[in-house]
Amino acid sequence: MLALRGAVRRPVRTALTTLGVALGSGLLVALGVITSAADTKVLDRLGQGNPLTAVRVAPAQPRQGQLASDALQTAAPHDLTDATLTAIRRSPDVARVVPIQTSRVSELSDEGGVATDWLIGTDMRQVHDLPVTLLAGRWPAPGSMTEVAATTDYLFKLHIDGDHPRQAIGHVVTLTSPRLPAGDAGFSQDRSYRVVIVGVVGQDLTDGDFIVPLEQERLSHVWEAGGAGGRQFPVGGSPYVGAMVVATSLNAVHTVRAELYGMGYATSAPEHLVSSVEEYLGVVNVVLGSIGSVALGVALLSIANALLAAIHERRRDIGVLKAIGGRDRDVLRWFLVEALAIGLAGGAAGAVAGVVIAELVGVAVNQYLVAHALGSLDLVGVPVVIPLLGWVGTGVLAVAAGALPSLRAAHLPAREAVVEA
Amino acid sequence: MTSSGAEVRLRDVSHRYGSVSVLDGLDLDVRSGGYLALMGPSGAGKSTALALIGGLDRAQHGQVVVGGQDLGRLSGDALAAYRRHTIGFVFQHFGLLDTLTALENVELAMALEGVRREERRRRAGALLEAVRLTGRGDHRPSELSGGERQRVAIARALANQPRLILADEPTGNLDTGAAGLVLDLLESLRAEHGCSLLVVTHNPLIARRADESCELVDGRLRAP
Repeated sequence: MLALRGAVRRPVRTALTTLGVALGSGLLVALGVITSAADTKVLDRLGQGNPLTAVRVAPAQPRQGQLASDALQTAAPHDLTDATLTAIRRSPDVARVVPIQTSRVSELSDEGGVATDWLIGTDMRQVHDLPVTLLAGRWPAPGSMTEVAATTDYLFKLHIDGDHPRQAIGHVVTLTSPRLPAGDAGFSQDRSYRVVIVGVVGQDLTDGDFIVPLEQERLSHVWEAGGAGGRQFPVGGSPYVGAMVVATSLNAVHTVRAELYGMGYATSAPEHLVSSVEEYLGVVNVVLGSIGSVALGVALLSIANALLAAIHERRRDIGVLKAIGGRDRDVLRWFLVEALAIGLAGGAAGAVAGVVIAELVGVAVNQYLVAHALGSLDLVGVPVVIPLLGWVGTGVLAVAAGALPSLRAAHLPAREAVVEA
Repeated sequence: MTSSGAEVRLRDVSHRYGSVSVLDGLDLDVRSGGYLALMGPSGAGKSTALALIGGLDRAQHGQVVVGGQDLGRLSGDALAAYRRHTIGFVFQHFGLLDTLTALENVELAMALEGVRREERRRRAGALLEAVRLTGRGDHRPSELSGGERQRVAIARALANQPRLILADEPTGNLDTGAAGLVLDLLESLRAEHGCSLLVVTHNPLIARRADESCELVDGRLRAP
């Protein structure tokens, strides 16, 4: 009681000291949260099948130096077949393989015009393993023949602002798969059907207008392949235009790429980008840690200084406390509790501020990842233990900072009670 | 609520602050339950003698015995316990902690003794009533007059039922009316509690009210 009343005796001084402690501890808590989030949320989560562990495989031979680059370095075509995908799946470092197939379709506009669109077919059950971000609506149901997700490229065709993707939801499109029957050149056989846009996505798979269930795309592909082919309606070579191979962990990405290189396929993966993110987080950690340590150090010194000033002001009170029977340890406890109170108050404010700072940095990192179509990494949901440790730790440090001044107060002679003011 | 007053005996006590000799071979006695006024001019060593008897300081030379305890032989904690159990201080500057209420100031002395909260509150209320401050317990010292503050200090001095009350110029900061009331209270409570009372003053009118008085000059008792 005495300590708490003493702390509010000089409210401005106490408030400024507490603010300083809050600043220092807040930066350190932010550092702890970011470090923890980087370790547990980014790296651990990525290691269990996040898009950043995905390796994109192209139906082409790799060029020399492929493994030193994140980007595709393609040479001659190299068909990607079901047999190839099966072989890739056998690798112990591969968690999943998601094939990607494309086919060309025509779209009849309301005005009677014809536009060419590309369907990107994939396994909708594994869509979360792909570098695709749902911006609005939902994913097409697996196996659906009437639902599609439009890409942001397609929004331009609809004259919809990319900031308002929801406007495309519910739009009905008539698609047509053409082919040339063998021996009947000049007349195409068309297969038309209607689909509805149920979602809008940002994607980094391949060029295309719609992401559709593999079954829907495959039907178009089979229809095309059943034709004779021609200049206008070429029939694709490789059964798959690509595949996403998800490594078992972030550390396994390079190994998987090396295996695919050995199988003769060009690949791309954001392994260097991940390093960049880690470096970015590392720089943030160092900067915040340095500033936070200095700020906390200054704040702790300010606690010591505030206590010294308080002791100077209360020499007679200390003497009186001893005159009525207080022991050295009673005086010591008085000032240590005061230091602890300031530390805990500042630490609590710092813990809250630290979490807010960490969330803001998390949002920035998230935007960076989304901008690179690397999926959304939810950094929200800070582990409670970090701010809790920050709060308790600040209290302990405040007591440590207040120890010397408190000892000095404890050793003041009881005679101070009768010294002339 | 009675206690037997402590006997005080100082023998050949000398004390210096730096090069200044404050007490010089002082011999002083207060009988058990006695009421002694210690007079003298400023700088005569009155407050130092009071500090030595109250265990606020240790005599550099000589012997200070209070209630049979040789203070020179007590450890730091034992000296604190002595101040807690045996002594009740009343200061000229009142010595109240201004962040606490009147009731809390009185309770503080008992809290140091380890008295339970409910018991503290009950006894502090009774003591404030005894010094005629019923209803003023929730006031801070800054909200009380000088006389009221000194009465709170007296209540606090009596909190742990001391055997000796040491009052250092208890009316020095009070007007005549308040001073009279404070002295009346000190004397009546001394009689009621049966404790010894040593008042340091330079006021001859106060000294006349005591059972005995003596004068300190240059650190020694002036011969009668």
